[in-house]
Amino acid sequence: MAEKNDIILEVKDLHVSFKSYAGYVRAVRGVNFTLHKGETIAIVGESGSGKSVSVKTIMGILSKNAVIDSGEVLYDGMDLTKVDEKVFHTLRGKRIGLIFQDPLSALNPIMKIGKQITEVLILEQKMNKEDAKKKAIELMRAVGIPQPEVRFDQYPFQFSGGMRQRIVIAIALASDPEILICDEPTTALDVTVQSRILELINKIKEERNLSVIFITHDLGVVANMADRVYVMYAGKVVEFGESEEIFFEPAHPYTWALLSSMPDLETKDEKLMAIPGTPPNMVYPPKGDAFAARNQYAMQIDFEEEPPFFKISDTHYAATWLLHPDAPETPMPEQLSQRIKRMKEEG
Amino acid sequence: MTRYIIERIIAMFITLFIIVTIAFCVVRMMPGSVYDNPELPQSVIDALEAKAHLNEPLLVQYGYFLKGVILEGDWGTSVKIEPSVPAFDVLVKRIPVTLEINIYSLLISLPLGIIFGTIAALRKNKLADHLISVMVVICISVPSFVFASLLQYVLAFKLELFPIVYESTAVGVQRFASMALPIMALAFGPIATVTRYLRGELVETVNSEFMTLAKTKGLNQVQATVRHAFRNSCLPLTNVIIPMFTNVLGGSLVIERIFSIPGVGGIMINSINANDHPLTIAVLIFYSLVSLLTILIVDLSYGIIDPRIRLEAK
Amino acid sequence: MYIADQNNMPKIPKEKFVFVQQGTAIKDENFETKPIGFFKDAMMRFCKNKASVSAMVIILFIIFLSIFGPSFNSYGFNDQDVNRINLPPRIPVLENIGIADGTRVLTNRRVDNLDDPEKYPEGSIVEILNRRTEKNVEMCDVKINYYVYTGYDDEYFWAGTDYLGRDLWTRLCRGSRVSLMIATLAVFANILIGIIYGAIAGYYGGKVDMVMMRICEIIGAFPQVVVATLFIMFFGTGIFSIVMALIIRGWISTARLIRAQFLRFKSREYVLAARTLGVRDRALIFRHILPNSIGPIITKAMIEVPNAIFSESFLAFIGLGLQAPEPSIGVLLSDGQKVLLHYPYQTLFPALLISILMISFNLFSNGLRDAFDPTMRGID
Repeated sequence: MAEKNDIILEVKDLHVSFKSYAGYVRAVRGVNFTLHKGETIAIVGESGSGKSVSVKTIMGILSKNAVIDSGEVLYDGMDLTKVDEKVFHTLRGKRIGLIFQDPLSALNPIMKIGKQITEVLILEQKMNKEDAKKKAIELMRAVGIPQPEVRFDQYPFQFSGGMRQRIVIAIALASDPEILICDEPTTALDVTVQSRILELINKIKEERNLSVIFITHDLGVVANMADRVYVMYAGKVVEFGESEEIFFEPAHPYTWALLSSMPDLETKDEKLMAIPGTPPNMVYPPKGDAFAARNQYAMQIDFEEEPPFFKISDTHYAATWLLHPDAPETPMPEQLSQRIKRMKEEG
Repeated sequence: MTRYIIERIIAMFITLFIIVTIAFCVVRMMPGSVYDNPELPQSVIDALEAKAHLNEPLLVQYGYFLKGVILEGDWGTSVKIEPSVPAFDVLVKRIPVTLEINIYSLLISLPLGIIFGTIAALRKNKLADHLISVMVVICISVPSFVFASLLQYVLAFKLELFPIVYESTAVGVQRFASMALPIMALAFGPIATVTRYLRGELVETVNSEFMTLAKTKGLNQVQATVRHAFRNSCLPLTNVIIPMFTNVLGGSLVIERIFSIPGVGGIMINSINANDHPLTIAVLIFYSLVSLLTILIVDLSYGIIDPRIRLEAK
Repeated sequence: MYIADQNNMPKIPKEKFVFVQQGTAIKDENFETKPIGFFKDAMMRFCKNKASVSAMVIILFIIFLSIFGPSFNSYGFNDQDVNRINLPPRIPVLENIGIADGTRVLTNRRVDNLDDPEKYPEGSIVEILNRRTEKNVEMCDVKINYYVYTGYDDEYFWAGTDYLGRDLWTRLCRGSRVSLMIATLAVFANILIGIIYGAIAGYYGGKVDMVMMRICEIIGAFPQVVVATLFIMFFGTGIFSIVMALIIRGWISTARLIRAQFLRFKSREYVLAARTLGVRDRALIFRHILPNSIGPIITKAMIEVPNAIFSESFLAFIGLGLQAPEPSIGVLLSDGQKVLLHYPYQTLFPALLISILMISFNLFSNGLRDAFDPTMRGID
């Protein structure tokens, strides 16, 4: 585990809401996380839990109707929630890179692939054309594009989905950022391609000593990638800890539910547990624990007061009243503990 | 690609042939003779008709006509508008003035449309956008001949800023002054069309994922907008701009009439009203040719500009 | 981040730590709001668009005038009278404040004639302007009440009269009736043909589709002006031939729209399901697929109406309008344009009418398009 002092990015009590016709949608309601140098953190949660909004805030690419209500994003001595477009311009690409969810629409359809990579090198880093091309081809080779010299002069529609995602990664790496944010980078891809993209991200991270924020709704993807995991629900982090802790000793009922709903090779006979109910309406976030209404283990207090984080280990915290010393002893569901046991045995 | 172009050109000529055939038959089957001048004795009329092969069956007439058009470049001879002048020459003589006025109006309206469209898109839902959209609705809705009448009455007649009608003999500043009103009247529509189209396209591309990528990879707002959004929006814009350019050949029937401009637009109305059938046929062929060429150029240019079509057609 | 202090846990009463949901089945929330139907939803969104609603009111008002306007006064649309030609507009009440008071300025009159009741009937002179002496003759411009001057003091032509002495108000109302009728007929026919043609091409697809679309392409290549000209030359001018001239080429865009809709919906699961249940082609086309296109069809129709009105007046302007004496907006405009510099009101009223009508229809159809846009559904 990295030292406290090499924190590279820290998000503190971030609140973001969106103006809509119905009122303010409270998309992010107090998110905290820290990213250490050279580490990969994963932010996990279902759609609408606020994970994408959090990283868009970091990049300064929130849509126009978004409002940062409070909180700080600390990076390099700056609070990114307060800096203007000019400063962001010096950070985007050069310090922080972003990989998109949908590589199919992220590339400009009428611009040659090579130009899309070299563009920023020529405009921002004042490279000359030949050097930029050399570097672009190098990058394309690094992300695993066969025949990069030929591919350089092709258009996005001539690439497959996986290849396009590799190009997007190459573009993100072009200006040598130190932080790489991956916003559901494999969701739009075929399962077979997914694992290869994940391997690539891991490899690049090692080679370039990047710090990675990995966003996904798929816990399975996280397992091989992340050092630490943040579980988000309804705009808040509900549990965080090191990867093993989250997978083997989950404490929050929502994490239990997520893990139970994840298919694995053994789930032939057992019924996969879907999480009942629907996420709360974020225009009027519920009082108390937002997950209470869908929680089998909800207690009276869950509907009345928001739970604080309870410490489980030095690195593992969860926000659920079940961890209060006075709460009834509640083991995780039988089915889930069985699965975790199996997972441990398999290693 | 070459094969595709050749196919398209052949298809165009087939369509043109069909149009010409129909136009010829319809015009020739109209009641009344082109030579029905009561002052001429019947024998002279008969002789004239025989010379023009009008006494023969329709099919034979058509044969003569086609032979003339294809082999001799003879589109027929005007009978009433400019007696005994070849219809082709009547047309060609009138093209320059039409071209001049229409091209000036395009040169004004395209930049204005592009500027307004960009402003509206970048200031979406702000005051500028609303003002521009009011202008667009008015310019698109109000017919050009209403604008023309308004300009003619207010600017030319009441305020006496410009000549009321086109002066073909004027030179220098005077000449431009006499063209100003028709140019303005013709510009309103294209300005509004380009503005509306570009605004729509830009709003869509500005919100696209690749614009976000352009920003996150380190381009600033201006670079991203110009290099990615603007370029991509101009591609579909060719769809509306190219027809404007080819339509200048056809001129505007009504504007030319209102301002008494001796262009190709007016000749169509006159030839129909004067029963000058050979000239009418020639004008119809001319109009069909222009609009078919437009369709062809739009199709081909789209293929050339958009790499997705260009490379897949190979 | 609020972390509970381990040595000083928040004090919570014991009874709060009771499971309250264990054993009860947690169900997906029931929708408490009433389902809102497609049309109701579109209506609601349309009504929020103030410009479109006012446009609709204006259109309804013009339709009302076009039906009842001619009976507001006693003149017929073809009552000619050479004694009252080119009378300026005169409206009761408004005439007292100087608008539409039936006056006109006659220029270059001899001053000595002014007192001659033969030439200037009593009370006809309103104002004498610009007195001057030219070649020893005293000249002036006279602003006269043209109605007294021509002996029609009791009459009120709200929009004036034209070069044959016909009441322009009546002709305007009747003209908009004719124009709207032509437009409605043409659009209705275009949409109907377009739906049937497009539905067949889109539904059956394959070779049928290819042949039908080729035909469309050939017809579409005929320039609209050329087609209309040929048609009207051949069949003569009249409502029928103008409507036909607008139909010949007008249905193609609707056909393309409907075909695209059919291609999109025919492979949807619910259509396949209906087909496997043995639903016949006709029922599939009209009951399962077509209703999806209602929104675009209505919008399309409303966009086409101003286009048709424009085409009609365009044709009238180039001399292919209706047979006299029947007026249409285009005919009135074209007639007015000929005397624009002398009697501008004869152009002004039809020009205003067509401009307001076109703007209203465009705003109205914009509103409809937004209201029917499926991506906007549910957003208020």
